[in-house]
Amino acid sequence: MDDNLGLFARLRERDINAFEVLYDRYHRLVFGIAHRMLGEPAAAEDLVQSVFLKLWSTPDVFRAGNFGAWISRVTRNQALDILRSKAMRAIDEMPADIPSEGTVDEVVFARIDGARVRDALRALPDDQRIPIELGFFGGITHEQIAEQLNVPLGTIKTRIRSGLRRLREGMQAQVLR
Amino acid sequence: MSTGPLHSDEMLELVAVYALGALPPDDARAVSEHIVLCDECRAEYRALRPVADVLGYAAEERIDDVRSARMKSGLMRRVQPGAPPRAATERRPPARRAPLWPAYLVAAAAIVIALINIMATVDLRAELASSRDRIAQLEAQNESGLRAEARDREMIADLVATDSKKFAVPGGEVISRDGRLYMTMDKLPVPPAGHVYQAWTLARGAKAVAPSVTFVPNKTGVAVVALPESANDVVAVAVSIEPTGGSQQPTTKPLFVRPLE
Repeated sequence: MDDNLGLFARLRERDINAFEVLYDRYHRLVFGIAHRMLGEPAAAEDLVQSVFLKLWSTPDVFRAGNFGAWISRVTRNQALDILRSKAMRAIDEMPADIPSEGTVDEVVFARIDGARVRDALRALPDDQRIPIELGFFGGITHEQIAEQLNVPLGTIKTRIRSGLRRLREGMQAQVLR
Repeated sequence: MSTGPLHSDEMLELVAVYALGALPPDDARAVSEHIVLCDECRAEYRALRPVADVLGYAAEERIDDVRSARMKSGLMRRVQPGAPPRAATERRPPARRAPLWPAYLVAAAAIVIALINIMATVDLRAELASSRDRIAQLEAQNESGLRAEARDREMIADLVATDSKKFAVPGGEVISRDGRLYMTMDKLPVPPAGHVYQAWTLARGAKAVAPSVTFVPNKTGVAVVALPESANDVVAVAVSIEPTGGSQQPTTKPLFVRPLE
């Protein structure tokens, strides 16, 4: 969202109202991801607090790009950290924003929302959608996905790639139609 | 123009799995290094990573008003207008911080050296851009690791500080320092299946306790819990056993109710 830029400028100036607007705008997204991955509302609440406190304490960590995508990745990484903490694997990460392919991508991914992503996912065949959802929300590796679904590893890799490319086309079609 | 080694669809499939975030760490590291050197794989990654990044939008959900209000008030209490960035107030002993840098610097240097080696034959601008991306990622990871470490250090410092306030509870203590609030408990029995421990806080002037965090002890019965509420606003802390996921109000007799006075 374009007006996010102004909010971040204000956030860097320690403007609590700007922080509150960002929270109101994105906390349902953060909670939803955390809840789906961790399975417990209370744990999801804790994660929401952790993610937004990090944003408040170090607003410069987000530099530019799609903030919704960025905070989704931050939330997922922190949730993975919790899921994998039993194995003592720290993967805490504040990801750098990755440049997309250009103008079309910037338009598409800036205008994407929950309904469009859900529609695009629903349009996938199950054999592509399920490995992608397991990989993203389940926090497991492609090898574990293959084992869980009892499908050869090579097939899983192919399905993930095909599914992501199909999702990309679906999202572009929805936004640009 | 491909600038890396010859590769197959299998490599591009690995790049897709990497973009999804579903590769084990060793494979992820190998793919990330390959992407720096290979135009085709980098293009694939840049096409698919934004798709993976917005997958989380599918989980966006409505939150009931009570939960929403509680979440927001808990957060806003911890955010003070005009407070300096946390990083600026953290005390980081250089001896602890130093070991984190060399690994990343070495990694960054290795990437730069690799880039220099191929610059003679590849598009200079593209490779410089990719190296900046990679180094930025490493810097971000490093900063994040430092912040997490500093947060842990802050908690440990609070727990052992001589000026912290300690309130004895059965099997442990409630500890407050500079507005932060913790509980440390020992020999805590494993809660019954499907249940967790839940902390409760009584805010100044409130007539009923509010739900705080849920937790379970480790294998030896130890639990160290940072409560999100500000110690300045809380006049009592309680703990009870609740169904997994927590409750809005205590459903079992609290193990203790400890006034903070």
